[in-house]
Amino acid sequence: MENRSAAPSVVSSQPLDGARWRSLAAYVVPIVIVAALPLLPFVNNYIIAATVRALIFISLGQAWNVVAGIGGQLSLGHGVFLGLGCYTTGILFNRYGIPPWIGGWVGMLISLVVALIMGSMTLRMRGVFFALATVAVSLALVQIALHFVDLTGGGDGLALKFFGNSLWAMQSRAPAPFLYGSLAFVVGYYWLTRWVLASDFGLAMQAVRDDEVAAAAAGVAVFRTKVVGFMLSAAMTALAAVLYMQFYMAIDPEAAFGLSQAIQLQLPALLGGLGTAPGPVIGGAVMIFLSEVTNWGSTKLGVNGVDILVYGLMLLAVILRAPKGIVGLIFKNALAGSSR
Amino acid sequence: MDATVLLALQAVLSGILVGGVYGILSIGLSLAFGVMRIVNFAHGELVMYGMYVGVVASRNFGVDPLAILPLSFLLTALVGTLMYQIVFRHFVGHATLQQLLAAIGCALVLQMIAQIIFGADARTASSVFAGQYVVFGPFFVAKVQMIAFAVAAVVTLAVELMLRLSAWGKSVRAVADDLEAAEVVGINSQYINTGAFALACGLAGMAGSVLVTYFPTAPSVGFSLMPIIIIATTIGGLGSIGGTFLGGICCGIIQQVTAMMWNSALQDVPLYVLLLVFIALRPTGLFGVRSE
Repeated sequence: MENRSAAPSVVSSQPLDGARWRSLAAYVVPIVIVAALPLLPFVNNYIIAATVRALIFISLGQAWNVVAGIGGQLSLGHGVFLGLGCYTTGILFNRYGIPPWIGGWVGMLISLVVALIMGSMTLRMRGVFFALATVAVSLALVQIALHFVDLTGGGDGLALKFFGNSLWAMQSRAPAPFLYGSLAFVVGYYWLTRWVLASDFGLAMQAVRDDEVAAAAAGVAVFRTKVVGFMLSAAMTALAAVLYMQFYMAIDPEAAFGLSQAIQLQLPALLGGLGTAPGPVIGGAVMIFLSEVTNWGSTKLGVNGVDILVYGLMLLAVILRAPKGIVGLIFKNALAGSSR
Repeated sequence: MDATVLLALQAVLSGILVGGVYGILSIGLSLAFGVMRIVNFAHGELVMYGMYVGVVASRNFGVDPLAILPLSFLLTALVGTLMYQIVFRHFVGHATLQQLLAAIGCALVLQMIAQIIFGADARTASSVFAGQYVVFGPFFVAKVQMIAFAVAAVVTLAVELMLRLSAWGKSVRAVADDLEAAEVVGINSQYINTGAFALACGLAGMAGSVLVTYFPTAPSVGFSLMPIIIIATTIGGLGSIGGTFLGGICCGIIQQVTAMMWNSALQDVPLYVLLLVFIALRPTGLFGVRSE
């Protein structure tokens, strides 16, 4: 992996007035536009719901970006933590009436424990074995979720009991409240990623990503850095899963742990730019926009699966032609000095 | 004999037969890793294409899928050559994050092309041996499974011998050991790698045509076969052909014993646990090559 730590400095803290204003506008303007969406005359619930979907996948993509983009560890099974978050909040709510405000934290704790176990078993090895293990765990969870029908609803999935508009149950008939909730997640995760990138821990993660041997020689605790990075990413995914569950109101084993879901969690960061804070934001927006267009197109044509085909082609195009993603294309000049 | 013992022996017997097919499904993945350090997540998709070749042969032309193994080998080897030339030749030597993601991209594209051509529903092919059983004393086995196992064993042996004895196989192993040294002595590594990758993909397609004689196909079947392929390869050892075949047999036995003695819905769960244990304690598997 090449060094991408230069990308976040595009929004730099240097006292250059023009650049500073532009960088401030670059993240304030999108937030204002999204927040004002429900007030605009031509915006209906369909557009708001699509925006919420984009924001949810941006949050989930940002979480994956921490382990894969900053840490360089390819987790193909981040659906595990999405699923654990969704199922935990859903089961606690449906069976025991515990609201997602609490259930979400429980789901996060469970995910932390699972990530600790998975990470300790597999992150000592380099590269490919971690990826294989994450695939295995997510597919094992598909079978387990299908089997324990009483708890998970089996293949039919788990649907939340509907309470109408209720703050306590974190439910709403209209999508607008989720717009603000997911926007808060996107902003929070963006700054969290910025903070991680600049922190000592984030620098250690990037050092491990770029060269494990050199990082170890420089005194980085390679194994511990990888495990903690994986746990941080898992916790972020499980917490954002609350948003996913409350918005979609249902989860099933394939949507939670399946490989195609895992790929949707990866695409925002990959398209936008791995290891950068703005990457998943741009990539997630592009991904949902394209999936809406192709869904509309494939219904017109009566062909299924065109959206996944487009995802696959985008994935290949980005990896072969623009490994730094859209952010890398936009800020080509800004990055030119630092790329090696 | 005790009924439980008989059941266990029956489970082991059918596990060996099923496992042989898991073995032939997996040796291509192992070969591509052993020679080029490429982990081809699209391997399952090539198996799926091999299965569809069998379906088309059986449904549209009335030909037994087992009779067209060379054809499915050639067709999927062709797809493999294209994949190598477009995508994988950029990633020879290291199983990097980009390489794994590129393989997933290939898998998605191949899967959706199949879905657009053949539709999302499951298809079956029928072999002349379908529905016939052979009885050995207290045990019985399906004839298709016996033949599938025999084909798998013969093909694995042939590949292993070709890699060990033929001049081409020696160049493949030379490139796998040390690419630069092999080029110094006059081996064209791009040519050898393309051939090895095409062979790996062709084996996947051929395995698919064997499998389709008793297992229905659908565009999603590639993804659902990948776990067992990965587990067989990891247990046997990434990069070792014979080891991978034995790994497949181990998987088959564990799966069938779990299904018959405990719970058929959770038949794969012990395999996933075993995979984690192997990755934690012995990532090179039983016979694998050292990975970087």
